[in-house]
Amino acid sequence: MRGGLSLYVEGNSLLHRAHPFTKGVLMLSAVALAFIVPSALWVAGILVVLLILGTVAGLSRRLVTGAVAVVVPLSLLIFAVQGFANPANRTVVFALGPIVYYKEGLAFAGFVVLRIACLVVATFLFSFTTRPADISEALMQSGLSPSMGYVLQSALQIIPQTLDMAVRIQDAQRSRGLETEGPLHRRARAYLPLMLPLVLSSLLATQERAMALEVRGFGLSVKRQSRYVFADSTPQRVTRWLMALAPPAAVVARVAGWQ
Amino acid sequence: MGVLNAFKFRMNTLAIVLIPVCIAIDWAGHALAQALHLFFLDSIGTVLGGLLAGPWVGGLAGLLTNILSSGSTDPIAWSYCGVAFAIGVVAGIGGYYGWHKTWPGRIILYVLIVLAASIISTPINIGLYGGGSGVAYGDAMYAALVKSGWPTWLAAYLDEASADIPDKFITVVVATAIYFGLPNRYRALFSVWRRSPGEPEPAPAR
Repeated sequence: MRGGLSLYVEGNSLLHRAHPFTKGVLMLSAVALAFIVPSALWVAGILVVLLILGTVAGLSRRLVTGAVAVVVPLSLLIFAVQGFANPANRTVVFALGPIVYYKEGLAFAGFVVLRIACLVVATFLFSFTTRPADISEALMQSGLSPSMGYVLQSALQIIPQTLDMAVRIQDAQRSRGLETEGPLHRRARAYLPLMLPLVLSSLLATQERAMALEVRGFGLSVKRQSRYVFADSTPQRVTRWLMALAPPAAVVARVAGWQ
Repeated sequence: MGVLNAFKFRMNTLAIVLIPVCIAIDWAGHALAQALHLFFLDSIGTVLGGLLAGPWVGGLAGLLTNILSSGSTDPIAWSYCGVAFAIGVVAGIGGYYGWHKTWPGRIILYVLIVLAASIISTPINIGLYGGGSGVAYGDAMYAALVKSGWPTWLAAYLDEASADIPDKFITVVVATAIYFGLPNRYRALFSVWRRSPGEPEPAPAR
């Protein structure tokens, strides 16, 4: 967990420069559409569009390697389960001893895997091109309460610190003879001596932090000024609305009989 | 005092500062669980936040834990943020009624958290994976059950519950153990959220 939590990759492409909301809406509506459209071909189309956007942003390598690492292990499981046990199974493809694989289940698994690939690629595309701090800043500029903005930003800072502390406590407890390997009950017993010191020290720091914030006017109900305002434009606003309206339109089309 | 009183929005600075800490505890708990090859254990901070400071703190901690882990290690996690929110809210209601202080209450808390997690996860699993849960041993059970004629929704539910039952057991045990390991003075700091004016000061937890 070195270098913080963010997956953000420096860049100056169209996607990098876009307003965080535009990218957020793009991600959400791409995922929603992938789960609404009726056939695998449509899902593949959405995936291709997302990959093209990633390539334009100069992220194709990262996007593909990241997505493959997540999707491949899951897809093996999905193909194994659905090809064997899907209730629609009729046509035998091959058999491994008593385990028979069917065409219908494998086709369904392919559809499911494509949809998951869409979800993963859309999410990665968003996190590769958007600084986490920008998301909370943009949310605050459009009316999120500053205290919720604080929650987001400080979580991003505290998580890496706490993870570092977890590693230190693990080493310390191991050097005192705590067994962290072996059967399930022994590993489960080792969990509490690792968690307790970690949680106590991080919880006890909250009171000091709360006082420090109060002293600096955290609880005041005044309007905050931003150091910079995100560039937004009419084309971006129009794109956002169009993208946001696409999933409901697709639902209407499905209800009206889009096969 | 009805259950709705637990949901009155009384966030002081301390409760707000607690949310990111709970998120970090969720993360560290998950990291330690990975190191020990245990279950997910990614909601200890959520449950603890709910017990200490109510349904909003617990729910928000759960929601944001999943959203933040989507942005780094697990891009699929945000589809399950509603599950984490529900776990935090259930723990918050439990904290409001003080369920974690008695044995029957602890069992109710555990059962409700398992039910909330498994019932909300199952439709997401069906939509996302076509029924499995993405955990190998649970999915093997799912395949066997569907093959022997069980309805897919029931098999999907049992698949999910088979992971949630042990996972949430350790979560609730660890969260209550930590709660009772906290100094009294500190627990009382957070308990302001559940008192309305005129109510007596809460008895210190044993």
